[in-house]
This record gives sequence, structure tokens and C-alpha cells, in this order.
Amino acid sequence: MTDTLLNRREALQTGALTAGALLALFADPRFAFPAQATEETLVPFLDMPRAKPGSLDWETLTEWLTPQDQVFSVSHYNVPDVKPDGYRLEITGLVEQPKSLTLDELKARPKSDQLMTLECSGNGSSKGFMGAVYNSRWSGTKLTPLLDECRIKPEALEVVFIGHDQKEETLRKGTPRETTFEVPFGRSISLADVKKMDLLLAWERNGEPLTQGNGAPLRLIVPGWYGIANVKWLRRIELRSTRYMGRFMARDYVTVRGERRGDAVEYVETSVSKMNLKSIVARITRQTAVDGKIPCKAYGAVWNDGTEIALVEVKVDDGPWQPAKIADDPKSQFCWRFFSIDLGALPPGKHKVVSRAIDANGRIQPASDDDEIALKKTYWEAYAQWPREVQLEG
Amino acid sequence: MTRIPIAAIHLVALLTFACTANAADGVIEGTAFYQPDSQKPWRYARYYVADAKKGHLAEAVVCLTDRQLRGLRPPMESRTVTVGQEDYRFIPETVALRIGDQVKFTNSDATLHNVMALGGNESFNVSLAQDGEFTQTFRRAGNLKQPVKIGCSFHSQMQAWIFVFDHPFYAVTAENGRYRFEGVPPGEYTLELFHPAGGMRVSRAVTVTAGQTNSIDLRTSPADIIK
Repeated sequence: MTDTLLNRREALQTGALTAGALLALFADPRFAFPAQATEETLVPFLDMPRAKPGSLDWETLTEWLTPQDQVFSVSHYNVPDVKPDGYRLEITGLVEQPKSLTLDELKARPKSDQLMTLECSGNGSSKGFMGAVYNSRWSGTKLTPLLDECRIKPEALEVVFIGHDQKEETLRKGTPRETTFEVPFGRSISLADVKKMDLLLAWERNGEPLTQGNGAPLRLIVPGWYGIANVKWLRRIELRSTRYMGRFMARDYVTVRGERRGDAVEYVETSVSKMNLKSIVARITRQTAVDGKIPCKAYGAVWNDGTEIALVEVKVDDGPWQPAKIADDPKSQFCWRFFSIDLGALPPGKHKVVSRAIDANGRIQPASDDDEIALKKTYWEAYAQWPREVQLEG
Repeated sequence: MTRIPIAAIHLVALLTFACTANAADGVIEGTAFYQPDSQKPWRYARYYVADAKKGHLAEAVVCLTDRQLRGLRPPMESRTVTVGQEDYRFIPETVALRIGDQVKFTNSDATLHNVMALGGNESFNVSLAQDGEFTQTFRRAGNLKQPVKIGCSFHSQMQAWIFVFDHPFYAVTAENGRYRFEGVPPGEYTLELFHPAGGMRVSRAVTVTAGQTNSIDLRTSPADIIK
């Protein structure tokens, strides 16, 4: 069996599994992690909903690049059907040379890839919403050279990204200042941040044209930032001299967090932007019991905003934190890395298994009772440690 | 770990009990199986195939299809099946009913859920707080082809299917994959299986003779998936 185990480099390059590797992995209805032995069987998590298409199935996670059927799609307004013919991307506002490009004109520009794990900032906020994350090779053209060609005016400080999706919004409902207006979806990034990053205008995901749900025909890719920043159905890029405060900058996707100052707790509202350090145990496997104890392994994933990951540790019940092995290959700055750990032989019964990540700056993924999470009043940015519960039968 | 849909067991038991044994009628029974294909893995097989070696397929809807069955032996009284919202799941996920039967939706999670009919012949959208309840009577039969798809508008992970039949010969298989129809009037029928989560659909012609039992196993594989 070992000579047909998946070669990760091959999988990364082709984005697909070879037939032989498929045979090895899927001969059994239960899926096998590349490093998993055939005698390992899945121990399902207790009290978890079933996985379904349109969401990442953690328990069968093997693919580093997520297949399309596992990809989530959230839209707050409508899901527009934007046809490639007749599509134009406008670049306008405080630029000397505004542009209007067709899809063909964009595709004629230098092509670039961006490997990136994209997570919804609400992912993990409840056990009913835990699969809104996926890894991709996005292909398109870089934004920075295009903006340079437009010659941004010195007074510009904000880059606004507008989508084709739109809706009627009402502010201050039920008050004398109630006002209603039709507005397109928008998110912004400061020009200073845009210049620090390498944003991509993507028309392909894993070698295929974007699906309608993922923003066809063109989507903004912001490496290391939550899904909300990766504007789908991109219609227009505007350079502005004042901050853009649309709903998804100023009202929603705003994290309210308490910060301790002396004896008091002060609440601060910040914009959802960079992905926080997060790891999760994807699955636990077992082998046949030996001397009444069950040999178990845990597999998982870790990701963040692109900061170097130093360590992933895993704890069983009240035991010590043990270091997991993080895969060095495949690896890309803005992508998740898979980890695995031998949990040893556990006694039959209920067990709690949890992972936490530590980055190169010493930042530790918090537990749900740490201030960073416990004093957070909104559900966005749900990156707390997520303990998993399993029942081991003898 | 695969939960046996309790309602399914009750349904099969009640069905068997309710149909009066009659020497002029026949029986159709068998087991639903799933045969994996290594080239086309079914990612969610682990929920529905408890033992890979045996291959018994749970939560498949098996039924007879024939125009003449419509209106046959009207139900004595309507039944109520409970579908709970628990751990962000609809349990049971797949339910089969007769026209006039009811589903009582409950919520035991400490969160607001919602029960929304996404298609088929029904239209309802009711939010349920913890310990809330909502009962819906199903008056239109979509039979095998038009189940009522249920979702929760707050939690896209949640899904359920409700199949409503205009005759008594339907079952949702339990973990052992078994189904059994008693009291089937003699004649030619189509025996069908559809697995809503997997998408597999198979059918067989069956001739029912008075006093005889047809043992028909229904074997599905990824090749039977209808998109």
C-alpha cells in the first residue's frame, strides 16, 4: 500500500489525485489522510452535525487544495450572475488615468498565482458553522501594477472595492433619522495597506474559472485577510480621500472586544481584517486496542495571516500540551499547514482533545475562557481553541 | 456512531403492523446496499454505511411507484413524527410520511433555530427557540421525486428531507438497510430507492403475486447518483 500513498508535491502541482493514489485512499468508504495507515479507523466526534457539500468536511480532510464541492459560499446581498461577455472592471476615483477593462484585457496582463487559505470570519462561531474555510490556488493578475498604471493621486488614502451584488439598506430604523437607500456591496483597504500587500484580481480557482458562488468572473484576493475582504463579483475599484464606511466596514464585521485597563474593562470596536491564528483537530483515528488501551492519532490544520507558525500543541483531557508534527510540504505563506500527532494509547471512555497554535512572535491561540475570546461580544473572528470530544470503545 | 433514525424504525414497524395480512396480497422485502467505487468516493458514506464490509445502506427511501396506488387504502388516522433540532442537526434527517401525517419539529439546542421548507410542495419558515415546537401537516404528496427539503436559515449545515406519499408502501431504511412492504395488491410495480444525501437512485420492476413474498435487494453504487 505504501507505494501508492499520495505524493503531496504531485497533488500540489496537479491539484488532483492520481487514480492510483485515489485507489489507495478511497478503497474503503472511510477516507484516509495521506500519512494514515490502513488499519486506522475514524473515531467520530460526539455531538457534531453531519458534514454536507458546500462546507469543509474536517473528518475526511486529505486534500491540501480544497475540491470545489467542499467550498463554502456566503453572500449578504444577492448572488449575481455576471456574464464574462460585457463584463468590465472599472478603476476610478482619485487616479490620473481611470480604466475600464474587459475580462480579456485583464487576462492579457501578466498572470500570477496566489496560494491562500480563505476563512469566513464567522467560521467557528457555532458548531453549525465550522466548515467555512478552504485552500486554493487563485490565478489572475496582480492589482498593484494595474493601480500604478492608473497613477494614483497623492490625496488618495483609501481603496474601495465594489461588487455587483447590491441591496436596499436602512439606517437608524424606527427613528426620525431613518433613511433607506440602494447600495452595492463594498469593502475597503487603506492605500497604505494595499501598497504593503500583493493583492490579486483572480478569475480562476485551482485551474477552473470561478463559480458563480465564489464571485465569477472576477474576485479580489487579499492574502491573509478574512473572506469578507475578498470581494466577489468585483465591479469597480475606487480611490478615495476619505475612509469608506459601508455596512461591512463600519457596522457588520466589526469585532467588539473588552480590553482590561487597570480594574476596568473598556470595549473597543475594530474592523475585521487579518485572519487570526487558528488551529483545529480535524479528526481522530484509532487502531485495535492493545492491553485494553486504544492507540489514537490526531490530525488537523493550522493557519493565520501569513505570520510564521512556530508550534502546534495538542492536549488530551487534563494532560500536558504535547507538540504536534507540522507538515513542511506542502507549505505556502498564506496557506494552512496540516499537522498530526500520536496521542498514545488511551483508555476506553470519553476523551477531550484540543489543539492550540503558537506563532513565531509568541502569539498563542487563546482558549474560549481567555480574555481575548471571553470578553469578545460579537461572533466574528471565532479563532478560539476548539476542544473535540470522542468516545472510545474498548 | 451513525444514529439509527428512530422514526424510521417506528415507521417501518407501524407500516408492517397497519397493513392487514391478506391472502390475496403479496409481500416485497429486501435490503438496500451500497457498493463503493474507489474512483468515485462518497465522502459521507460513513453516516449511512455503518459496516463497510456488509454495505447495508441506512436512511434510503424505498417505495413502490405505480399510478394505481394513489388513494389506495386511505390511512386510518394520521401519525405524527418528531424531528428534533439537536447539535445543529435535524434528527432524523430523512422522514417518509403519508398524506395527512404531521411532523412535530422541536429544538433542544441552546440557540435559535429555524425550520424552513426549501422546495417541494410546502412553504413554511418558522423560527424555534430552545424547547420550542412547531407542527406541520403535510397535505400534498410529492412521492419519491419531490421531497420537501428542510433547512435552517441560520445554520446552513442543517438539512432534512420529508417525503410524502399518497399510498402506504414506503420505508426509510434503518442501519440494517432493511425494508418490507406487506399487503401489496397483486400487480406490476416499480420498486424504487432514492438516497437523498447520496443522490443514488435505482429502480426495479416487480410483479406481486397473491400470497407470495418477493425478496429484492437493492444495490446502489456511485454510478447510480443522479445529479
